[in-house]
Amino acid sequence: MEILSQLILNGVMAGALYALMALGFNLIYGVTRFFNLAHGVLAAIGGYAFFTLSKMLGLNIYLSVATGVAIAGLAGYGFDRLVYSKLRKRKASNLVLLVASLGVFTTAQAALSIIFTSQFQTLSETAGQEALSVLGGVVTRTQVIIIFSSLASMLGLAALLNGTSFGKAVRAISDDEEVARMVGINTGRVTGYVFFIGSALAGLAGILVGFDTGIQPTMGMGLLLKGVIASIIGGVGNIYGGVLGAFLLGLVENLGIWMIPGEWKDAVSFLLLIVFLVFRPQGIIKR
Amino acid sequence: MDYILHLATLVIIYAILGLSLNLVVGYTGLLASGHAAFYGIGAYSTAILTTSLGVNFFASMAAGIAASAGAAFLIGAVLSRFDGDYYALVSLGFNVIIYSVFLNWHGLTRGPLGIPGVPRPALFGMDFSSGVFFLALAACFLALTFLAARFVARSSFGRVLKSIREDEKAIQVFGYNTVYFKLAIFVISAGMAAVAGSLVASYINFVDPSSFTVMESVFILAIIIFGGLSSLKGSVIGALVLVLLPEALRFAGFPQAIAAQMRHVVYGLFLVVLMLYRPQGLFGEFKL
Amino acid sequence: MTKTDAILKTKGLTKRFDGVRAVDDLSISIAKGKVTSVIGPNGSGKTTLTNVLSGLAEIDGGCVVLHGTVTLKKIRPFDMPSYGMARTFQEVRLFEQMPVIDNVLVVLTERSVFGALFERHGAFHERQAEEALKKVGLWEKRGGLASGLSYGQRKLLEIARVLAVSAGRQMDIIIFDEPFAGLFPKMVKTVSSIIRELRDEGRTVILIEHNMDLIRELSDHVIVMDSGRFLAEGSPAEVLERRDVIEAYLGE
Repeated sequence: MEILSQLILNGVMAGALYALMALGFNLIYGVTRFFNLAHGVLAAIGGYAFFTLSKMLGLNIYLSVATGVAIAGLAGYGFDRLVYSKLRKRKASNLVLLVASLGVFTTAQAALSIIFTSQFQTLSETAGQEALSVLGGVVTRTQVIIIFSSLASMLGLAALLNGTSFGKAVRAISDDEEVARMVGINTGRVTGYVFFIGSALAGLAGILVGFDTGIQPTMGMGLLLKGVIASIIGGVGNIYGGVLGAFLLGLVENLGIWMIPGEWKDAVSFLLLIVFLVFRPQGIIKR
Repeated sequence: MDYILHLATLVIIYAILGLSLNLVVGYTGLLASGHAAFYGIGAYSTAILTTSLGVNFFASMAAGIAASAGAAFLIGAVLSRFDGDYYALVSLGFNVIIYSVFLNWHGLTRGPLGIPGVPRPALFGMDFSSGVFFLALAACFLALTFLAARFVARSSFGRVLKSIREDEKAIQVFGYNTVYFKLAIFVISAGMAAVAGSLVASYINFVDPSSFTVMESVFILAIIIFGGLSSLKGSVIGALVLVLLPEALRFAGFPQAIAAQMRHVVYGLFLVVLMLYRPQGLFGEFKL
Repeated sequence: MTKTDAILKTKGLTKRFDGVRAVDDLSISIAKGKVTSVIGPNGSGKTTLTNVLSGLAEIDGGCVVLHGTVTLKKIRPFDMPSYGMARTFQEVRLFEQMPVIDNVLVVLTERSVFGALFERHGAFHERQAEEALKKVGLWEKRGGLASGLSYGQRKLLEIARVLAVSAGRQMDIIIFDEPFAGLFPKMVKTVSSIIRELRDEGRTVILIEHNMDLIRELSDHVIVMDSGRFLAEGSPAEVLERRDVIEAYLGE
């Protein structure tokens, strides 16, 4: 019984991280209609930005988190301005954008490896030390922080999308970009902001993963896959579906390893994706 | 001299990978982003069968082709119902999973330690262990792959593949169950990639998971996009240029570990620049 | 029309998009060996009907009866030829980055994976493609890419594709979805003579069209749709005079 509640807690924890990835991915997919395969590397950029500021420069931890998130956001914004927005302007096909995003991913990940080496780095000295007991399971204080910052981001994003004119513009573009442009929305600028926000969320996920376990230049691909799998099983382009999918994925993955060794987690989540693609490709919530 | 032989062998191996991937990406218009998975299945098949069972290299290659085609059949059955974003993503995910199998199935693959001592091929008393002989053998396999790819491309089947790339729904209405065509070319392509895998395992005498990452798949993709999609000649020339180009970095005096990452930076940027300025590559007949 | 000469019937056919009934409880009969025009104002569901008939849109309700015997509740696009059906598209759908001749050859060759893998197009296929391309006047353009054709030529190439496939495989039912839109007068003549020829060969033509003169000239029978529903039918002369039909058009 204790194992079960521990696995559920771990599942919720993983779900919170995947939700951050899925939120950003879905937000960007909503306005650009392409799978940004470089989305994962922004998590690594966020993680390493924090690592540099806090560990190497000794900056205050909260300030480092904020700056790290902003740097990831700016990097995503930069990729859009330098690459994707130019391709979109040329009405390039989705395949071109996909290939370009693979190129961005490869370049950025390799650049991180050159600058920071492929060494595994932990971000928090207190990781796993202060344990709290919740419902028969154990969570660390870091993990509590993860849950709350993830929830706060979700609520913040929901408020932004539903309560501001920016949110209205994002939804208008997601519905129909042509129409949005005709009613006077500067779609290029809004898309740029969306890249900033989506990438910042990925950056936050990267930093939180760093608190929980640690960071590595190659961490992005795994996180990307989790975010996209969560989006697909939740319903691609549907922001709330993505969150739902993320927690479902986190739970299935962690309950799945009840019976089999932990290193097969990724295989479990991929299997879940395949099951959804075969039986319900539109996801839980149809857009 | 040895260095030149080494580079020539690598070019040939990547040319085989490029030819096989081009059938799916260039001819059929499906962005298969996990080609290194099938390359790896071929390599591990040869490594495992030759070292622990003492199987002949050529038999191990046949087994590798079968294993790779079988895996492609299973994942392709799901994949072939999709195209575009989903195809790219699921094939990418498959690569990550196969990589984690190589890494974690210690009993079979020895995990991160890899499998050393993979022998060079021998047949009817002929020994291909010298560099020149191995190069000649690899060149024969390249020629076979080229002819096979050309046979596929020039058949009625190849024309249907191109029409799937152009407008899948439109060709369906004329009576083609396109899912079967997509599945078939995926399986054929995976089988060819396994040939390259067997060759590399035997050539380097060693396999480990790090050679079969998503980065490797992106590299093969860069080769065919640079050379030109749906151009077989382009795949070979793409392999030549992209294998040799990063060698310049070696002469620039970067340390080994950095040079490897610099190579990724170079072809990653290469892809981005190609997409921005010349999406059809050098000899491409198909503009993405 | 008696029951026996209907080659295609729909019974209560329904197709919904996001709750909107694009085709709504539609029951019509298409007579064998005739040209039947389906007309109606924009958004009346004509193109959705062609998409449902060719399996590109799933049937949500009702069924399609072919040859009076085969009842279909689900149509898969690649089964079209085995039901003896071929179609053109309103928005031209060519294989752009392929030569003009390959656009035609591709519909003539082996349908099975293994058959196609070990087949190269033969002189027989080439003759069929040549015949179809000559009929629409595109034989000289056969070597160039389809994307290099003018708008009118593109529409003609689509028609050549249908001609080729129907010559080779005995297609009984051919659907033309607005084949005349945007064509020069000379091309219009070519296409209308092709449609007449097909009818004279005993094939059934379903024609979606807006041009009233062409409808009068070509059709044996006219079916009018409005808001996805059946509105009227009859000979062109009587239908096009009817008050409710004129109102449906003017009321759009």
